[in-house]
Amino acid sequence: MDAGLLAQVGVNALMLSSMYILMALGFALLLSVMGILNFAHAVIYMAGGYICYQLAVIYGLNQWLSLVLAALIMGLFGLFLERFCFRPFFGDVNRTIVMTLAIIVIVESAVNAAVGTHVRSLPAFASGVIRSGGVSLSVERLVTFIIGAVLLLALIFFIRKTKVGQQMLAISQDSIGAALQGINIYRVSAVATVIACALAAVAGSLMGAIVSLSPYMGTHMLVKAIVIVILAGIGSIGGVLGAGLILGTIDAFLPLVLSGSATDAVGLGIVILILLFRPQGLFGHEA
Amino acid sequence: MNVKSKLTKPVGLASLVILLFLLPVFIKQPYYIHIFIITLLYIIVVSSLRTVALSGQLSVAHAAFMGIGAYFSGVVSKELGLTPWLTIPLGGLAAMVIAVIIGYPFTRVRAIYFSMVSLFGGMVIVSLISVAQKWTGATAGLTGIPPLSPINIPGLINITFLGQKVPYYYFTLLLTTVCLLVLYRIEHSRIGMTWKAIAQSHLVASSVGINEAGFRVLALAVGCFFAGIAGASYAHYNLVLSPGTFGFLPSIFLVMYMLVGGRDRFAGPIIGTAILMIVPEFFRGLKEFAPLILGAIMVIVVFLMPQGIAGLFDQIKAKYGQLRQREVPSGTV
Amino acid sequence: MVLFETRGLTKYFGGLVAVSQLDMHVNQGEIVGLIGPNGAGKTTVFNLITGVLRPSEGKIIYDNKDITGKKPHVTAKMGIGRTFQMASLFADFTVLENLVASFYLYPKSGFWEAMFNTPGYRKKEEYILNQAMEILQLVGLDKVKEELASNLPHGYQKVLGVARALAVKPKLLLLDEPIAGMTHDEIAFSLRAFEKMRSQGITFLLVEHNMEIMSLCDRVIVLNFGNKIAEGLPEEVRQNEDVIQAYFGSEHAA
Repeated sequence: MDAGLLAQVGVNALMLSSMYILMALGFALLLSVMGILNFAHAVIYMAGGYICYQLAVIYGLNQWLSLVLAALIMGLFGLFLERFCFRPFFGDVNRTIVMTLAIIVIVESAVNAAVGTHVRSLPAFASGVIRSGGVSLSVERLVTFIIGAVLLLALIFFIRKTKVGQQMLAISQDSIGAALQGINIYRVSAVATVIACALAAVAGSLMGAIVSLSPYMGTHMLVKAIVIVILAGIGSIGGVLGAGLILGTIDAFLPLVLSGSATDAVGLGIVILILLFRPQGLFGHEA
Repeated sequence: MNVKSKLTKPVGLASLVILLFLLPVFIKQPYYIHIFIITLLYIIVVSSLRTVALSGQLSVAHAAFMGIGAYFSGVVSKELGLTPWLTIPLGGLAAMVIAVIIGYPFTRVRAIYFSMVSLFGGMVIVSLISVAQKWTGATAGLTGIPPLSPINIPGLINITFLGQKVPYYYFTLLLTTVCLLVLYRIEHSRIGMTWKAIAQSHLVASSVGINEAGFRVLALAVGCFFAGIAGASYAHYNLVLSPGTFGFLPSIFLVMYMLVGGRDRFAGPIIGTAILMIVPEFFRGLKEFAPLILGAIMVIVVFLMPQGIAGLFDQIKAKYGQLRQREVPSGTV
Repeated sequence: MVLFETRGLTKYFGGLVAVSQLDMHVNQGEIVGLIGPNGAGKTTVFNLITGVLRPSEGKIIYDNKDITGKKPHVTAKMGIGRTFQMASLFADFTVLENLVASFYLYPKSGFWEAMFNTPGYRKKEEYILNQAMEILQLVGLDKVKEELASNLPHGYQKVLGVARALAVKPKLLLLDEPIAGMTHDEIAFSLRAFEKMRSQGITFLLVEHNMEIMSLCDRVIVLNFGNKIAEGLPEEVRQNEDVIQAYFGSEHAA
């Protein structure tokens, strides 16, 4: 394999990994802080992308501004979600699931009604190609990776250094103990939801430019997120980074050798193999 | 209590069954009969999902097992020329076997983590089906599946299924009734009780000798068997299959039908599936706004009916009982 | 005759030692008390014996068989019954259902006979129902049999827990804080019941905080931080320096 191809695949791997991780971390946050399996994360990702499209293409705003606005809007939506959709059913698994599914149905049809179901494309956030030493790399993908990496670093910093972040960690390890220590679970949950939604919106917008926007784009990403969380082992933030990298790399390399849905199957197969040899965090977990 | 209330349930049920049997007399449009056929098949699938959920395992992969039954029966009958009457039960068995094989390693994974892992498992199954489908040459979908073979007893009956909706309707109605009866029976036996015990406390259950892993696999086996049967029946009705029918979103919808109907009652999946599949049909005219009706129903149910639609009656009864209690003058109770 | 013993039983949780090199034994017909301050590892020992947890090191021998690491439902079948300190019932079941569900092993019904509701199956279920009612009458819970078990007062829940443990026809009964939270009457009732069970051949290993139960025990083993620090007759142990230190000296128990 020549260096050029390798470099391109490498950038793809980094780009995919960072997007997967943005999605997976948000999902993992909600899982570990609130104990919910937020299926609606898929439509938040999708809606973020479509909102960015609306702002940038329909209303003609600057695309970067649209990206930030989309993140803000979905973040606010997250606030709404936590307060009115998740909080009333805290602890009731069945109703929480129905709520997330209701969100999927409603947001899905709202986007359809507003924008229509055609596959659309966001214009590239950055265009051009970097050439160096016979290797040409897509600027867009590099920039996407960089944005993803920056956001991740910011999130890690937030979790490690701020009070709320620490509380999130505490809750994820022992929610009862945390509550006994006086941590306001609702407030922390709200912050977690806002962050998760904003990150998903950013990922949706960036991927919407690189790939395309479609009503079911979120489903695909959600499955990746869940696979990553499983690989990482429940409650392991650092694991999400590693697992995201692994999956992103697999998904970047496989299309070279296989085609279409075989890549999905093989990708999942590799994950199964990993789990068989290292069921850490998952099988050993006496939940 | 008294004779009257003891009879209302069986009588109500019997009338419902009779009405359903007479349906084709009143409703002639093929499209509506089609809706009923599909709804009945999904009632089997969602009820069998609930059977699995009795043991505390909320599976988000149930549509995939429907798919295993569908593809197995479809391919085997198409390629080997076997009659669907034989391959449908085989489809159920295939789904059951795969469920046992996949389910066994996950018997120590509990609650929400099980749901996550099941989702993963379902995706694997659907991916494999997609890949396998490509090998058989079909790219968009598996076509050419044989319909149910005609029932021909000379002098008595001659039923052809090809191109006819009504025979399929009666077949599905009969199938659904039988499957529900079996599931009901199993649930109300010691098996069902043991499943519920495991779901409530696996520690206490194992302390009285209950093999949690074994029973969880059993729940998966039973539930996925019926999902496979329904899937196989679907294959020989629709005559065309595509993997998307059995993927992530359909599996989630199955969970939705069960939860909205009510997870704690046997009638829950039946009511939930029927309402969520049939009611939106009335709003087809709304086009892209039609799914919002679905969303509205779900929001109403989740906020107002903690036990789902099937629990509504008991909910009202409890409220009514509370109200009545306040009216009774003290000293009487 | 030694019914049950552990040799070098050890359990680590990560870097934390919960149980360390525990050698203990229980003779047939004895009532042995396992005591110690909170966090001493007593419930962990129960979990290790019944197979809820796997030992990191050591052996567990019961009825001359090595049961180290055997799963809980297997140890139950071999005749080890247990109660739990917390969350000791089927919360959504009624009192009666709690018992009926627990009569799983004896008599055992297979899948097909249950599904087809065979006469043999129905007979077994009837027998179980009668047994359950008898037990409820014995402990005075028959009036509340349709009540949700979680609505019972705490003391009765514990009694129900013991009743449930008896359903496995145990030779060895592991009771985890059986009288904690009980009223004086309930305690007296329970102690009488335990004596009666002992006379029917059941061997007991109890975990308790309450000193009252020590009077019932033939022998007492004291744990602290996972180590056995004393063993002997209740009166001896009560006066043991290390034991007094453990209970009143250490402030940092969980």
